[in-house]
Amino acid sequence: MSQILIQGLLLSGLYALIAIGFTLIFSVGRVLNLAYGAYLMLGGYAYFWVVQTMHMPKLLGILVAIGVGVLAGLLKHRLIVKPLKSDPVAVEIATLILAVVIQAGVVLVFNDSAKIMHPIVNGVWRVGGATVTYNILTATIASWVILIGLYYFVRKTHVGRAISAVSMDVKGAAISGINPDRINMITWGLSGALGAIAGVFFASYTQLSPSMWVAPLIIAVAVVIVGGIGSIIGTLIVAHIIGFMEIISTTLVAAELRGVFTMLLIIVVLVMMPKGLFGRGEL
Amino acid sequence: MALLEIDNLSAFYGRAQSLHNVSFNVGKGEIVAVIGTNGAGKSTLMDSIMGMVKNTGAIRLEGQDLIGFDSSEIVKRGVGYAPERAHLFPFMTVEDNLLVGGYTARDDIGRNLAHVHELFPVLKQRATQETATQSGGERQMVSVGRALMTSPRLLLVDEPTIGLSPKVCSEIAATLKRLNEEDGLTILITEQNINFAMSLATRVHVLETGHLRISGTPQELAADDALNKAYFGG
Ligand SMILES: Nc1ncnc2c1ncn2[C@@H]1O[C@H](COP(=O)(O)OP(=O)(O)O)[C@@H](O)[C@H]1O
Ligand SMILES: [Mg+2]
Repeated sequence: MSQILIQGLLLSGLYALIAIGFTLIFSVGRVLNLAYGAYLMLGGYAYFWVVQTMHMPKLLGILVAIGVGVLAGLLKHRLIVKPLKSDPVAVEIATLILAVVIQAGVVLVFNDSAKIMHPIVNGVWRVGGATVTYNILTATIASWVILIGLYYFVRKTHVGRAISAVSMDVKGAAISGINPDRINMITWGLSGALGAIAGVFFASYTQLSPSMWVAPLIIAVAVVIVGGIGSIIGTLIVAHIIGFMEIISTTLVAAELRGVFTMLLIIVVLVMMPKGLFGRGEL
Repeated sequence: MALLEIDNLSAFYGRAQSLHNVSFNVGKGEIVAVIGTNGAGKSTLMDSIMGMVKNTGAIRLEGQDLIGFDSSEIVKRGVGYAPERAHLFPFMTVEDNLLVGGYTARDDIGRNLAHVHELFPVLKQRATQETATQSGGERQMVSVGRALMTSPRLLLVDEPTIGLSPKVCSEIAATLKRLNEEDGLTILITEQNINFAMSLATRVHVLETGHLRISGTPQELAADDALNKAYFGG
């Protein structure tokens, strides 16, 4: 029981971090960035290359991963989203294709075998019959810190409030002196950074492989669909619903069910509650 | 030189033309009203000034051309806008809506916020309320307040009285008058509510299906038989 509680909390924290960058883009641009999972993959591989191939410090690995994520996000905005004028269907098709192309690129550079990433933080912690690796604990704490930071950024800074303003009313934002295009660009960069850092933690929790972008993308889509147009709080809540469902189903039913419930949940919510559980347009 | 010069302005939505060679000026310190029925082109005129419509002709603020600039740049140059239907941020608090309005005029935020609270004390009481849950009158106040947060030299107000009770209308009118008289703010409003416009403006222009038909002082227009027939039914 305590095992489920602890594992659930840890996994859910990571899922919230995975989903938040995707939610951000959906809130601001009303498009699903289906290449979002590829940010995680790029972040994971960038970290792997710096730390395990080049034997450089882990902190540098994380910074390079973030840099790659920001760059990927900005390029995507400049080369895909802007020319397509944020037309959701066109952007979704283009980003899905991009994800597959990035996967091919990763196979080309790193080959297609899965790679084990060393834990970012070594060691285990035993609490009440459960064992927790410091690695996942760090990931969860980092998620919470990032999410709380993002929450304050969105509420308390000019640029953060502008992101929120564009997500609620583009015209209202424009007549407040905000350039929505610029905010969109910043959001894509920020989303790339969040995805990449989530990718480092996700890869250290699972493993690196060229198909690793699919599972986090499904988690992120589920969070947006179940949570409705994303808020940071809503993202946290839904990430916990999904995280706990997964832990419960894999420990009590069968490990093969990993991910299945998440997908079922997406379909059930789409059918029953088209606006999601928390269908509001806030951040 | 007039603060705002509109010169042979035409506006287009795709192939459809919504304004036809409209010209008029707004002098510094004036309140000018543009009146017209639904679909006359009032909002199009306002959106054109904000750089949100495809235009030909010229729009100049203190002699500098505005056409071709982004809305955000036009705001920076000193045009504040309270648009039709307000376009507030529904799930933000009143306070945050106003703070977003201060995005460009960051150094003035403290002073502007205090001024908005003084003009609309209810917005201070409702600071933490989300605008989605507010009454129409309060939302209109937030809208005007948000525009004032941009430190405008010219305030555009598009149909401020739409759907509001007479009591709230006269409150808004009093505030606009006060802004004009005490702060010397130049104001351009559009209205279907002729009485509201006439009571406030120093000059009135009548817009009909995209054409500027008649212009004059409220006294001149009140004496105009054709206009009276068309708008007052008598
Ligand atoms: N976004 C738009 N796309 C196409 N036509 C529009 C758009 N906005 C307004 N129009 C047209 O422009 C004309 C003027 O509309 P508008 O400026 O909204 O009038 P008013 O504000 O005086 O009611 C109308 O014929 C309207 O149908
Ligand atoms: Mg209108």
